[in-house]
Amino acid sequence: MDELLPFLISGLGVGAVYAMSGVGLVVLYRSSGVLNFAFGALGAIGAYVAWSLLEHDWPQALAWAAAVLTSVLLSLAYGRWLAPKLAPRDPTIRSIGTLGFALVVLGFTEWTWGEQPRRLVLPTDSLAFEFALAGGDVRLTYTRALGLLLALLMMAAVALLLSRTRVGLKMRALANDRDLSALLGIRVLQVDTVAWLLSGAFAGVCGLLLANIVRLQATLLTFLVIPAFAAAIVGRLRSLPATVAGGIVIGVLEAMAIKMPGFAPFRTATPFLIALAMILMARGNERPA
Amino acid sequence: MNLSALPALRLVAALIAVAASGAAFGQAKCGLNTGKAAAGEPIMIGAVVGKTGPDDFSASAQAAAAYFKCVNANGGINGRPVEYIVADDQWNPETAAQVASKLVKDRKVVVLAGNTSFVECGANAKMYADEGVMVIAGTGVPRECFFAKNYVPINSGPRISATIAAMYAAKTYQSKRMVCIIPNIPSLGNWGCEGAKAWGKANGVEVETIAIDPGSADATSTMLQAAAKKPDTIIMHMPKGLLVPMMAAAEQQGMGKKIHFVSSAPAYNADVPKAIGPYWNKNFAVNLEFNPLSAAGPDNKNWQAVLDQFGAKSDPRDTFSQAGYVAARLVTETLLKMDPKKIDRASVSDALRKVSDFRSDILCKPFYVGSGNRHNANNSGPMAIVDGNGFANVPGGCVTADDPELVDVRADELKLGLK
Repeated sequence: MDELLPFLISGLGVGAVYAMSGVGLVVLYRSSGVLNFAFGALGAIGAYVAWSLLEHDWPQALAWAAAVLTSVLLSLAYGRWLAPKLAPRDPTIRSIGTLGFALVVLGFTEWTWGEQPRRLVLPTDSLAFEFALAGGDVRLTYTRALGLLLALLMMAAVALLLSRTRVGLKMRALANDRDLSALLGIRVLQVDTVAWLLSGAFAGVCGLLLANIVRLQATLLTFLVIPAFAAAIVGRLRSLPATVAGGIVIGVLEAMAIKMPGFAPFRTATPFLIALAMILMARGNERPA
Repeated sequence: MNLSALPALRLVAALIAVAASGAAFGQAKCGLNTGKAAAGEPIMIGAVVGKTGPDDFSASAQAAAAYFKCVNANGGINGRPVEYIVADDQWNPETAAQVASKLVKDRKVVVLAGNTSFVECGANAKMYADEGVMVIAGTGVPRECFFAKNYVPINSGPRISATIAAMYAAKTYQSKRMVCIIPNIPSLGNWGCEGAKAWGKANGVEVETIAIDPGSADATSTMLQAAAKKPDTIIMHMPKGLLVPMMAAAEQQGMGKKIHFVSSAPAYNADVPKAIGPYWNKNFAVNLEFNPLSAAGPDNKNWQAVLDQFGAKSDPRDTFSQAGYVAARLVTETLLKMDPKKIDRASVSDALRKVSDFRSDILCKPFYVGSGNRHNANNSGPMAIVDGNGFANVPGGCVTADDPELVDVRADELKLGLK
């Protein structure tokens, strides 16, 4: 166990951002029934915007705000203009629509910024909690600690929004039955807008953190939506606490898998394996006795 | 001092400056250097490059294209122009086989020059040997490029590069324990680090390899795993896109203060020092497969002049480009020694195999092709250290790789009367 502890700590940071991304996915899914494949791509383009502004010596806070704003605006653009055109179609088609959007955003990001190696540095990187463990010294940077804190805060905030606010109530109504909610006078488009806005904001924040913790590379960030999906599947696309726990567990297990001889070079498969196991377990539970 | 003399002095100084810059950015020299365009029957030369895909590997062919353009504008190959056809393999072995077959069997190229691809050596090396066509490649990456009878990379390759980095660390930092980190890509992973390992075994240095998944999001765990092995030096052996987050993770874990970091050639890229940041200033040494891009040697200056006058402004001025230029020069100078009426595939391959003392200051040592079963003529290179937003040369100059796997290459060198 001593040997695994450093990896447990190093996995917490990535796991927290998986968790947060998972919450961003669940929020949208619960209100509009769309699995947002563009989540990673929206975060990536935001992070690139922040990088460019920081290169031009913009203040950190403004650069972050611009990153989140970029993700929110793009998310809203899709949610308001394109998503409604697909609204009558079944959920699979609506979800695959976002995959198309993801590829367009990814293509644009790669075309604009290219493959030049870059690094997004945040001021919280230079400070860290230090752990002197038997298995080796390890540092948890403030950025990663911040990721953990944000994951918990955002989960709580979204849970409150859904359970205590009017918009939250409408979101839940929409998730239950879109047509019926519309007949009852709920302004579907308005509620959808809030959901896309929230999802975009989550994407922006996660993109910034992941670009720092993982790397500023558009393709990788775009497809980091996969572990986020795995986290959301752990939460059965409904439960926020289970999604957060799932994300953290996936990050930690992926990091600890490095100590498994043979499996270590393929440890990126960890989220898929966990998602697969969860789906099989869910199917098992659904079977009639 | 007589003040009235100042304007005259200034004029003289300005004239000297103009003359000096004229010498520095001199006219590109290539081929017969006659200044007259060639107009005879074209000589077909091909190239296969990985242009579209995960990365753009076409800089070698772009430099070769510029050189051949210069040759054509300067008398060609004894009057015959070069028609240079570049094909994109899209990083797909199947496409690589198709485009190479088209060049060799349909377009009947007499030789290929400036090839750089991640997939084509495995796909095409046998076909090139069967068809008796030689490839003076720009840059070879996977193992297959260095183990083919008709494929001659100008660069030293990943294995040699990492071996030299390890030798440097042992000499400069007296390192006795090293970890070599490499992506688990077929034909690259493990093989790339084994040169350093074999050299270490013979020299009392323990080198362990960590093969990593290049798609992994978690660089920190990899660096912690490497540090857990308590090395004095970590050899980074990966593409620049992967290197930057690894170095960031090492920095965040405060490893640069306790462990030395060196790298193979991919880190020698103009963007890397700035991307990894000031923490690594004078603390990260990298191997170069050629002499530095800014070296003042006449051939290195000519490479830049050829690109400035015959290439596109957007053509990269990187090590791939250096390699493509050298490949095109080697082919051109070999063809120029032949009877222009008797240039066909067999005679060109024969002439190329006789190349035994090709000189360029871009390379550390004279280059040869020879008749060996495999080619790794370039097996030495200098080291440079990150300095501000660039690189500084380190003392010691070129280091020759002491990799036991080169035993057959050394035997070929002896046969050619080299060394």
